[in-house]
Amino acid sequence: MMTFTYSLRLVALLATLATLPSGFVFGQDDLGGLTATAPKGKSNPAPRDAAGHPDFSGFWKGDRATKPVGNIGKDLPGFKLPLTPEGEAALQFNLTKTIDPESLCIIGGTPRHNASGLPFRVLQNKDSVAFLYFYSYYRLIPTDGRKHTEDPDPSFFGEEVGRWEGDTLVVDSIAFKGEKVWIDENANPHSDALHVVERWTRPDADRIHVETLIEDPKFYTKPFTYQRTWLAGPANQPITEYACSENNIDASHLGPGPGPIRADGTRGYADLAPLPPPIKPGTPLK
Amino acid sequence: MRRLFIKLFAASLALSFCAWAQDGQGGGRGRRGPVPTGPTPKTADGHPDFTGYWRDDGNANPHGNIGKDLPGFKLPFTKAGEAAHSYNVEHTVDPESLCLPGGIPREDAGDGSFQLVQNGPDTVFLYQYGTFRVVPTDGRKHSEDPDPTYFGEEIGSWDGDTFVIDSIAFKDTKTWADENADPHSDALHTIERWTRPDAGHLHLELTIDDPKFYTQPIHFQRTWVASPGQHTREQACSENNIDVSAGHLGFGPGPIRADGTRGYDNPAPLPPPVSKTNPAKTILPPGFH
Repeated sequence: MMTFTYSLRLVALLATLATLPSGFVFGQDDLGGLTATAPKGKSNPAPRDAAGHPDFSGFWKGDRATKPVGNIGKDLPGFKLPLTPEGEAALQFNLTKTIDPESLCIIGGTPRHNASGLPFRVLQNKDSVAFLYFYSYYRLIPTDGRKHTEDPDPSFFGEEVGRWEGDTLVVDSIAFKGEKVWIDENANPHSDALHVVERWTRPDADRIHVETLIEDPKFYTKPFTYQRTWLAGPANQPITEYACSENNIDASHLGPGPGPIRADGTRGYADLAPLPPPIKPGTPLK
Repeated sequence: MRRLFIKLFAASLALSFCAWAQDGQGGGRGRRGPVPTGPTPKTADGHPDFTGYWRDDGNANPHGNIGKDLPGFKLPFTKAGEAAHSYNVEHTVDPESLCLPGGIPREDAGDGSFQLVQNGPDTVFLYQYGTFRVVPTDGRKHSEDPDPTYFGEEIGSWDGDTFVIDSIAFKDTKTWADENADPHSDALHTIERWTRPDAGHLHLELTIDDPKFYTQPIHFQRTWVASPGQHTREQACSENNIDVSAGHLGFGPGPIRADGTRGYDNPAPLPPPVSKTNPAKTILPPGFH
C-alpha cells in the first residue's frame, strides 16, 4: 500500500518545493511525479477537437525550469509587484493576519492556480472546458458564447467566460472575492476589482501555454502579466481523491502568512515546526 | 444571489431547492424546464454520450435513502451494521456538512444536480460541492491493494450501451452511505450501471454489496433528466462553514420520518443570509480575524 502522506498540506509543500523529491507528497512515484522536464526534439502537432480547435484535454505538469513557482511576480524585474498603497496594506494584512486559505481547504482560485506547483487535468468539451485540480475541486468555464452577467456573485475563480480567438482559448474573469484571498502562494493580495484574462495556447502535443493578464486597479498601479508552460503527463496519471477537510491539522498548526519570502522569490520557513506523527494504520482519522 | 453557504444538512431539512437557489441556472430538485427529446447522442467511438448537466427527475423518493426501493425502506442490517448505524446517528456529524466528500453511494442517492463529462478514456462526475470523481475507462483492472477513499477505487467499462462502474476500497469510519446516516464498511463493493435511454434521461441501477453491514446486496435505481445550458457552480465548502464552527449541528441526520426522509422539524434559526452588506466570512481559528 502507498504511504499516506496526504496530511502534509500546502504550506509544508511550498516550503519544501524546491527540494521536493518527485511524487513525494501525493505518492505518485509510479507515474513520474508532479513536475516534468521539457522533452527535447520535435513534438507532434497539437491535437484538435471535433470543432477544429486545439484540444487542451490532458494531464498537465509544471516545467521544472519554471522559477520561482507560486509567485505571480515571476516575470517582473526583481519579482516586484506594482502595489498601490492599498495593495501594500492588503499584503501586510495577508502576511500577518491570514492563514493560507488553501491550507484551510478554501479554493485557491484564479490566478493562484496558474502559479501553483501542482499539476491539473483539463477536460475540453464542445461548450465548456473544465480544469480539475489536486485539492479535489474544479472550475468549469463555459465556451458556449455567453457573456458576463450583470451582477455576478463574487467567487474564488470569478465569473469565467471562455471564447476562441483563432487557436487561442481566452478566459475572461471578473467578480472575485476581495478579502482574505491570496493571489499566489506568496500571500500577495487581490481585490474585488480583479480582472483576469487568460490566453491559453497549445503550441504542440507536449505543451500548453498561458499568458495571464492581471488587472486590479485597487491594489496594483498597472496591469501585469504572468506566463507559464505546462508539459503533458502520462494519459493515465490520476488526479486522486483528496479530502482536504479530513484530519486537517493545519488550522491549529500554521501561523499567518507564507513564511519569509526569499531572494529567489519563493517562500517558507527554513525550520518547520515538527508535524504530528503520521497516522498509523488502523487509527481512525479525526 | 446564491446562498450556497447553507450546507447539506440545512438542504436536507428544507427538502426543496431553497438552499440551492441557482436563479438563472435552473436549480436542482424542483425546477422543471423542458426535458430534451430525441435519440441518445453518441460519442465518436459509438458509445452513448452521457455528457451534460443532470438534475433529479422528482421521482426518486424518498431522496437520500439507499433503502428507497426496499419494502418499508428497511435495510437488511447485520448486527455490526445496526451498531454502525447507531454509532453514525449518535456520534457523527454529517460528513458532508464538514466538507468531506460524500462519496459513493451517497452521491447517487443525493438530490443535487451534477455535470457529467466524457473525455477521452475517462468519465468525470462534477458535483455541486466542488468535488469530482474521475472514472478511468481504459481497460485497467482493480489494483492489488488500493488505498481507501470516499469514492473508492472506481473502474469503468462498457457493457454494450451500459456504462458500468465497479468500485472497491472505501473508507469505513464516520462515512455515511446516504443522507440518513446509514453506514457502510470497508467491505463495500458497489456496481453502478448507467444508461442513457434517450436524449433527456439518464438512468442508474446501483447494487450495494457490503457483507459486513448488510445481510444481502441492496438494489437502488433512479433517473435524472437533462438540463441543457446549465452548469455546476463554484462552492467553497470550507468558507464561512457555520456547520463546523457554530455548534449548530448535532449528531446524525435528525429523526427518520415514516416517508423515509429525515431531519428536525424545528431547526435552530440560521444566521442571516450573505448579501453585499453582509458578505461571507472565512472562519479562522481564535486569534485571527
